Amino acid sequence: MSGFEAGIGLFALLLILIALRVPIGLAMLVAGMAGYIHLNGLMPLINLLKTAPYYRFSTYELSVIPLFLLMGQFATHAGLSQALFETANRFLGRFRGGIAMASVGGCAAFGSICGSSLATAATMGQVALPEMKRYGYSGALSTGALAAGGTLGILIPPSVILVIYAILTEQSIGMMFVAAVIPGLLAALGYIVAIAVFVRLRPDAGPAAPPEARIASPGSTLRSVLVLAIFVIVIGGIYTGRFTPTEGAAIGAFLTAVMAFTAGRMRLDGLRACILGVGEASAMIFLILLGAELFNAALALTQMPQQAAEMVAASGWSPWLILWAMLLMYLVFGCVMDSLSMILLTVPIFFPLISALDFGMPPDETAVWFGILALIVVEVGLITPPVGLNVFIINGIARDVPITETYKGVLPFLASDLVRVVLLVGFPAITLTLPRLLSG
Amino acid sequence: MTGTGAARDLPPGESLGAAIHILCRGAAFGGGAVLIAIMALTVVSVVLREVTGRPIPGDFELVEMGCAIAMFAFLPYCQWVGGNVAVEFVTARAPGWLRGWLDGLASAAYATIALLMTWRLTLGGLDLQRYQETTMVLGVPVWWAFVPIVPSVALLALTAAYTAWRSLSRAPR
Repeated sequence: MSGFEAGIGLFALLLILIALRVPIGLAMLVAGMAGYIHLNGLMPLINLLKTAPYYRFSTYELSVIPLFLLMGQFATHAGLSQALFETANRFLGRFRGGIAMASVGGCAAFGSICGSSLATAATMGQVALPEMKRYGYSGALSTGALAAGGTLGILIPPSVILVIYAILTEQSIGMMFVAAVIPGLLAALGYIVAIAVFVRLRPDAGPAAPPEARIASPGSTLRSVLVLAIFVIVIGGIYTGRFTPTEGAAIGAFLTAVMAFTAGRMRLDGLRACILGVGEASAMIFLILLGAELFNAALALTQMPQQAAEMVAASGWSPWLILWAMLLMYLVFGCVMDSLSMILLTVPIFFPLISALDFGMPPDETAVWFGILALIVVEVGLITPPVGLNVFIINGIARDVPITETYKGVLPFLASDLVRVVLLVGFPAITLTLPRLLSG
Repeated sequence: MTGTGAARDLPPGESLGAAIHILCRGAAFGGGAVLIAIMALTVVSVVLREVTGRPIPGDFELVEMGCAIAMFAFLPYCQWVGGNVAVEFVTARAPGWLRGWLDGLASAAYATIALLMTWRLTLGGLDLQRYQETTMVLGVPVWWAFVPIVPSVALLALTAAYTAWRSLSRAPR
């Protein structure tokens, strides 16, 4: 069996295991171990397991992940969603569909200190859904806006997926974060435009908020400003190199915890829930990282990624065609798979391909730009049927709205996503301008 | 795409299950305490560096070690609550007994790998002790980290074996 065939075989085994309900991290671990034994023998694997799992888990750059998750958990338990929603509503509530727009604004603000889409959707949903219901918003619009708004949790930095992409491709985490800012804001703007179009077509779906509903208390305004300040300190500090990503995440988690405790929302019960939440999420991620380590070690032994890259580079196909094919694959697989696993599985294959192609910009910029594009398309999977996790979460909160209504409500936001992907592919400058400006 | 073998709605009736429940949560709280300690250490180190120009020496070594200890301590809890993501879409229409069997076999495979890792990491830790591996700056013996990690992985093996047994024995015929 040639290396290339062995590589294909590895992927086939992995996909079969995943289809048979084996948790993705475990499936990578099993397929990786099988491949390693086949290619290298049993004893090397047995020896590898003596210390390799420890060294994988004790990598300094990976320690940023649990710390960012901790920050997100503190933010969730700090009652910040109420303050952010009130503040956004003060500015956006006056427009038709304004409360839905404020929900998106609140999600964007929350996403700036939380790297999880599901947490963003869940916490903003609890605050914003009752408000929209009170003012007669249609179920489709209110649940659609929140399911889509939740994806801003990952699109706006900090973002665990960007951290992992940066580590896999040896890019700077700070650079990835800064590059994600404009596309993230563009996403929020695109969602607000989608709401404006929605209420123009169906004016009864979402009226403007009456003046008495558009008051933000001074406390809420202050806390929103503090959230912005934390975002600037963390992302700015990491980007300028004043501190490492791990240090930035630790400082962000600490400041968010201070906000949570001083607001009196956090007690021992809350702290326990935070720890269990971080524990579950980071263990899930680290199992996938461990599995990917073994799987990619086996895959590297087959030399399949380099051969595929050489074949594609020699084929003379248009780079843009290949890029679109990859993005389309992400969209399709994103409908049933989670984003992190997709990135970990595909980047070892896709990244050498993309690096071998000429998009008319320096390799580092291509890497950053592709990372942002990949992040956006895998996140679309959170709101598409059959398995849209954000849709499920919002639907679990708004029990009176049938799930088909939510999927209908999501359509305008999906359209907005597709327009944004086309824009970002067509104009790489949208993504790259801010990093270029800041690095002077 | 949610977790499999979910055990979120416990209290479990069985005493072994109850014991595993307590152990997994205990390990997770221990890991959480280590993680919060890492956070505090890093914040203090950055503040010292900014104010006095001198950070805590070797802070990153403690972060690395603590991170590994915390992550291993979290693994059993994640398995216990069924937090590992799986793709359920393909088998969504399969009969209940088949899904129970598939979940049980996956957990059994996880238990086997965790058992293998318990054995190998024990030997790995002993090797590091024998060769007196220490961290570069602080000179902390690396094998110290294995003292909490090996029991965590052993607990993971026990937890996965228990969830495997439960999925298989409770699968409707």
